[in-house]
Amino acid sequence: MIAAGPEATSKRRPSKINVRVLRQDGPGLPPYWERHQVEYEPDMNVISVLQKIAAQARTSEGNAVAPVAWDCGCLEEVCGSCTMVINGRVRQSCSALVDRLLEDHPEEIELRPMTKFPVIRDLMVDRSRLFHSLKRVKAWVPVDGYFDMGAGPRISRDEQEQNYPLSQCMSCGCCLEACPQFNKVELQRNPGESDEEFAARKEAAYSVEFVGPHAISQAVLFNSHPVGKNLERERMEALTSSGGVQACGNAQNCVAVCPKEIPLTTSIARAGRAATVYAFKKLFDR
Amino acid sequence: MAKNRVLVVGGGLAGLSATMKLAELGIPVDLVSLTPVKRSHSVCAQGGINSVNDLTRQQGDDEWKHFDDTIYGGDFLQNQPPVKEMAYWAPKVIDLMDRLGVTFNRTPEGFIDRRRFGGTLYKRTAFAGATTGQQLLYALDEQVRRHEAAGLVKKYEFWDFLGPVLDDTGRCVGAVAQDMVSMEIRSFPADAVVVATGGCGLVYGRSTMSVFCTGSAASRCFQAGAKYANGEFIQVHPTAIPGADKLRLMSESARGEGGRVWVPRKPNDPRAPKDIPESERYYFLEERFPKYGNLVPRDIATREIFNICVNEGLSVDPTRMCVYLDLTHIPRAELDRKLGGILEIYEKFQGVDPRDEPMKIFPAVHYSMGGLWVDYEANGEGGLLPGSPRNQSTNIPGLYAIGECDYQYHGANRLGANSLLSCIFSGLFVGPGIVNWIQANKASADLPKSVFERAVSAQEARHKQLLSNRGGEGENPYLLHQELGDIMTRAATVVRYNNQLTDALAKVADMAERGKRCSLADSGNWTNQNVIFTKALQDMFPIAQCILEGALKRDESRGAHYKPDFSMPSLTSTDPAERRREAEQWCDAFDENTNKYLKTSVCSWQGDAPELEYEDVDTRLLAPRPRLYGLVGAEVIEQVWKERSETRSGQNSEKKLVGSAH
Amino acid sequence: MCVHLVTNSSLASGVDVFQNAVFAIHSLPFLPVIEWLFIFLPIIFHAVVGIWIARSGHSNLNRYRLAGNRRYTWQRITGYIAFVFIFTHVFHLHGWFHADWWLKTVAEPIGMAQFDPYNAASSLANAMNSLGILWPIFYALGVLACVFHLANGIWTAGITWGLWLTPNAQARASYVCLGFGILLGLVGLTATGAATRTDPAAAKATEDQMYKVRVEGLMIKPNEHKRTDGRRHGHSSEASPGPTLIIPQAVTGSR
Repeated sequence: MIAAGPEATSKRRPSKINVRVLRQDGPGLPPYWERHQVEYEPDMNVISVLQKIAAQARTSEGNAVAPVAWDCGCLEEVCGSCTMVINGRVRQSCSALVDRLLEDHPEEIELRPMTKFPVIRDLMVDRSRLFHSLKRVKAWVPVDGYFDMGAGPRISRDEQEQNYPLSQCMSCGCCLEACPQFNKVELQRNPGESDEEFAARKEAAYSVEFVGPHAISQAVLFNSHPVGKNLERERMEALTSSGGVQACGNAQNCVAVCPKEIPLTTSIARAGRAATVYAFKKLFDR
Repeated sequence: MAKNRVLVVGGGLAGLSATMKLAELGIPVDLVSLTPVKRSHSVCAQGGINSVNDLTRQQGDDEWKHFDDTIYGGDFLQNQPPVKEMAYWAPKVIDLMDRLGVTFNRTPEGFIDRRRFGGTLYKRTAFAGATTGQQLLYALDEQVRRHEAAGLVKKYEFWDFLGPVLDDTGRCVGAVAQDMVSMEIRSFPADAVVVATGGCGLVYGRSTMSVFCTGSAASRCFQAGAKYANGEFIQVHPTAIPGADKLRLMSESARGEGGRVWVPRKPNDPRAPKDIPESERYYFLEERFPKYGNLVPRDIATREIFNICVNEGLSVDPTRMCVYLDLTHIPRAELDRKLGGILEIYEKFQGVDPRDEPMKIFPAVHYSMGGLWVDYEANGEGGLLPGSPRNQSTNIPGLYAIGECDYQYHGANRLGANSLLSCIFSGLFVGPGIVNWIQANKASADLPKSVFERAVSAQEARHKQLLSNRGGEGENPYLLHQELGDIMTRAATVVRYNNQLTDALAKVADMAERGKRCSLADSGNWTNQNVIFTKALQDMFPIAQCILEGALKRDESRGAHYKPDFSMPSLTSTDPAERRREAEQWCDAFDENTNKYLKTSVCSWQGDAPELEYEDVDTRLLAPRPRLYGLVGAEVIEQVWKERSETRSGQNSEKKLVGSAH
Repeated sequence: MCVHLVTNSSLASGVDVFQNAVFAIHSLPFLPVIEWLFIFLPIIFHAVVGIWIARSGHSNLNRYRLAGNRRYTWQRITGYIAFVFIFTHVFHLHGWFHADWWLKTVAEPIGMAQFDPYNAASSLANAMNSLGILWPIFYALGVLACVFHLANGIWTAGITWGLWLTPNAQARASYVCLGFGILLGLVGLTATGAATRTDPAAAKATEDQMYKVRVEGLMIKPNEHKRTDGRRHGHSSEASPGPTLIIPQAVTGSR
C-alpha cells in the first residue's frame, strides 16, 4: 500500500506515543508513575492507547507489568464510564483524541485517576457516591405503578427543550472532579465489618457532604415535571440541609468541564431560587 | 413468598424494566451488572421507539400493521404470537415511559412528536433528541433506584455473571457471579434468573456495541444447556465511523439529507478527496441504483459498500476499509440546521469537520437478532397468554431471557426503532409469568447448600486455573480477540460464502483451543480486568461457532443473512409471456425455499461444538410472502403471488387462525 | 460598609463635612448597642461562617484556570484579607474595647485605639501616618479586598439565592457588580487618601471649634472621652508620650 504522501508529511506524526500513567495497586496503597510507549496510529483516542497498553503489558523500559485497569463502556460519550484526568483536566477518555492531545503536549500524554473519588485500582475509581446523591434528591417521578394508566401529562415544547439537556446527564463525575467544594470521602473498612455495615457507614458519610452539581440539576429536572413535583418538598429539604445547594461556591467549573454542556450553573441558580422560596414558606406558611 | 428472590442479570432497558416490574409485584430483586446499570449499552440507541399512535391510527394505521411490518421486515422468521403481543403493547409502553418522565420531543401543542423510520409508511417513532435509548434507560434507572432506596432491589454493580446454578432436576435455582473489584466469587440463590445481557457484538472485534457486549453471559447459559437460536442473523449498519477502538454509528439521515457515497476510481489514490475531480470519482450507489441513488435500503447499501472495498479494492484509506460519505457540496448553514447533532459526533471523534472534508464510513456490526431460545404460550387471539411462566423462559426451567439476548422479536432482520420496544416490552411482560413460576415451585432458599457450593467451587477452579497461566508462551487474550474479530468480520457479516464459513469454523474451533491456553499479564486477585476479559473471550467462541454454523447450514438469503450463491435471481426475459413463466417459476422456488428454510436454527452445546437443529416457525397469523425490494421483474412476481395467495386463502380461510399449537 | 466608606470619603470634601457626619453618627441613641447588633456581631458571624466555608473547599485554580474559578479563589483570599484587615482596623482605631484599663495598658501603648470621634479627621490622620506609608498601603489593600469580596459576594449570593439564573443573566449581573465594585473601590481609596493627606493640626483646630459650638448650642453633651485633648492629656493623669510625639511627626510626614 502506498503511504499517504503529501498529507502525511504535512502533519507531524510521531511513530510512538509516550504515556505516563499514575497507577495504584489498590485502595490505600501508594500511587506511582509508570511510563508506557505505544505505536502511533491515525485517529487514536485515549481508549485505544489504553487497549494497546493492556495488550502489550510492558512499560517503556521493557518491564512486564499488569495491564492498567480502567473503566469504559460505550466509547461514544453517552455512558459516562471512562472519566479520568488527562493532561491535568478531567474528561472522557473516549473523546480525548490523541492527535489533539499531542498538538498541545507533544512529549507525552499524562493519565491519572479522578482525585475526588477513592481509587479502586489504577484509573478506576469508586463513584458510588455519585449515584447515592441521586437517591438523596429522590431523582425520580413517583408514579403509582407500571400498569397501563394512559398517557402522561402534556408537556410543552419549551419545557421539553429546557428539560432534555438536564436529562442528558450521564453521571460521569466530571463536574464533581472539577468542583472545589466537592471533596473526596474515602473510608477504610474496619476489621470485622460486614459488607452491609461498611456500605451503611459509607452512605452515612456521603449523606452530609456536598451532593454535587449533577444531583442539584436532577432535583431541578424532577421538580419541574408535573408529577415529579410531588416530591418537591422532600427534594428541597435535601437541598437545604447539610451538603445542599448552599455548599456551592459558584466557581462554575462544573459547567465548564461538563462533556454534555449541561447548564449546571443555571440549575444551581434555579435550585437556589427554589430553596429561598422554600425557606420562606417553611418559616411563614407552616 | 417472603423469602423468594429473583436475580436479574444485566441492567439495560430489558433488565431494568423487568426489575422494576418485579419490584412492583413485591418480589425482591438482586440486580447483577458488569457496569453501573445507568451505563448499560441501551444508552447508545439514538433513533427512537415505535408504536401506533392517535395520529397514525387516523391515517389507517393500527397495531396489526405494526405487527405486519415487523414480521415482513424480519422476513417471517419470528414466531408470530410474541411479535403480535409486542405490537399491541407498544402504545402502552410509550405511555408508561411518558409517565416516567422521558423527555420525548413534543409537538407545539405538547403531544409526543413522531418521526418516520425505515420499513413503514407511518410516523410511528417517538424520540428524545438523538439519545432516545439513553433517555428511556434513565427513566427506568430512576425507578429502579427508587425501589433500591426502598430496599426491594439490591444492586451488584461491577459483578460478572459466571453461569446459572442448576439443581439435580435441571431447574435454575440461582447463579454464580464474581465481584470484578474484589474478585470474590459467590452464589446468588434465586427462584428465577432473568438474563438480560444484550448482544454479542464483541465477537466481531469492533462493532457499534459497548465494550461489555461480549455475549459471554448468554454463552455461559448456552454452555450450561440453554439453547441458542438464529445466531447467524447479525444486523450490519451500512454507515459507521471506523475507529481504532470502536465503530460509531453515523445516522442514515446524513444520506437522507443529500449525502453522496463515493470512492476514487483509481485504487489507492493518494490525493486528498477534494483534489479528486468529479470525473475520477465513482459514485457507485448512484451509478448502480439510478432510481434510489444513495438512499437504497440498508442491507443493499451495506452490501455495496462492503463489496467495493473488499472485492474491488477501492477503499479510500490504505490502512483500513472505508468509503467517502460526502456532504461538502451542501451549504454549511443547511448542514448545521438539519444535521448539527450527528456531524458534531463525527467531528468530536474524528477531529475532522465533515462540512469541509468527506466523512469516512464503513458498515459495522450493530445488533444480534439471534439469541437465547425462549418459549411462549399463545392465547386464543394469537397473542401471548399474560402471566404464563412459559413466556420468555429458556429451555432451562427458571432461567429467563429478555431483550437483545433473546431471539424472539426481530426474525432475520430488525426494523429500526423496534429494539427499544422489544427490550422494554419483554422486561415488563416477563414479570407476572415469573411470579406464577415462583408460586408453583419450591423456594431455592430451601435447597441444600451443596448445590450452590458445587457451582461456586467449579467457577473458583476455573478462575484459579486461569490465574496460574501467568506469563510464558501462552496466548495473549487481547490479540486473540482481534484475530477472532477479523475472522468473524470477514466470514460472517454482510456477504457469506460457504467455503469462507467452513474455513472460519475450523479456525474458530482451533482458536477456542488456543483460548484455553491464554496466559495472563496480571495474576493478582484485585480488580483483575485481564482475567475477566479472558473468561469473556473464552466464552465468545461458542457463540461465534453458533453464528458460523447457522450461517453455513442456511443455504438461502434471508434478511441480514445474504448468500449470493443461493439468492433468488431476478427475472431476465423481456418477453411478457416468458417473463410470466419465469415469475411462476420464481414463486415455485420461493415456496420451496420457504418450506426448507423458514425455520429457526437452534443450537445446543455439545461440550466442544454446537449442534444445529431446525424448528418450525409459528406463522399462524401471517403467511410468508416474498420481499421484492429492488428485484428486476418484481411487478410480475407480485402479480403471480397475489393470484396464488387469493386461491390459497379461498381454500384455507377457515383454518387460518387455528394453526399449530406451540 | 458602603455607608462607612462614603462617610469616610466625605473627608475629601473637608474636615468639617466629615466631622459633621461623625457627630451625626454619634448622636444616635444606644450607639454601642447598634454597633454590636448590626455591625460587630454580623461581622464576627460572617467571619466565622466564612472561614468555615472557605475551609470546606479546596481551590484547584492551578488545574482549571477559568474565570469563575479565579473569582471563587479570590473570594476566599479576599475574605481572609478582609478578616485580618477589619479586626486590625477596629483595633487600630477603636481598640476593640472601650474599657479604660484595656486602652491604657494594652491598646494605646502599641499604637492602637487611635481614633477620637470628636476629633475625627485629625486623630484619623495621625493614626494613618503613624508608621510611614505602611498604614496607608495596608488600608488601601484592605479596602480593595473588602470591596471585591462585597461586589463578588453580591454576585454569587445572587446565584445562591436564585436572583440571576441563566449564564446571560449572570453575565449581566456580573457587569453590574463590577461597576458597583469599581465605584465603591474608588470611594474607598478616596477615603484612605483623604485620611492620609489631612493636616492634623489644622483639622484639630476646626474640630475643636465645631465641638465648642455644638456644646454651647446644646446640640451635644460635652464628652471629653471622645476628644483627643480630653482623652490623652486632660482626662488621664499619666499622659502617655506616644500621641504627643506622633503629632509633629505626622505633620511633617504629610507635608
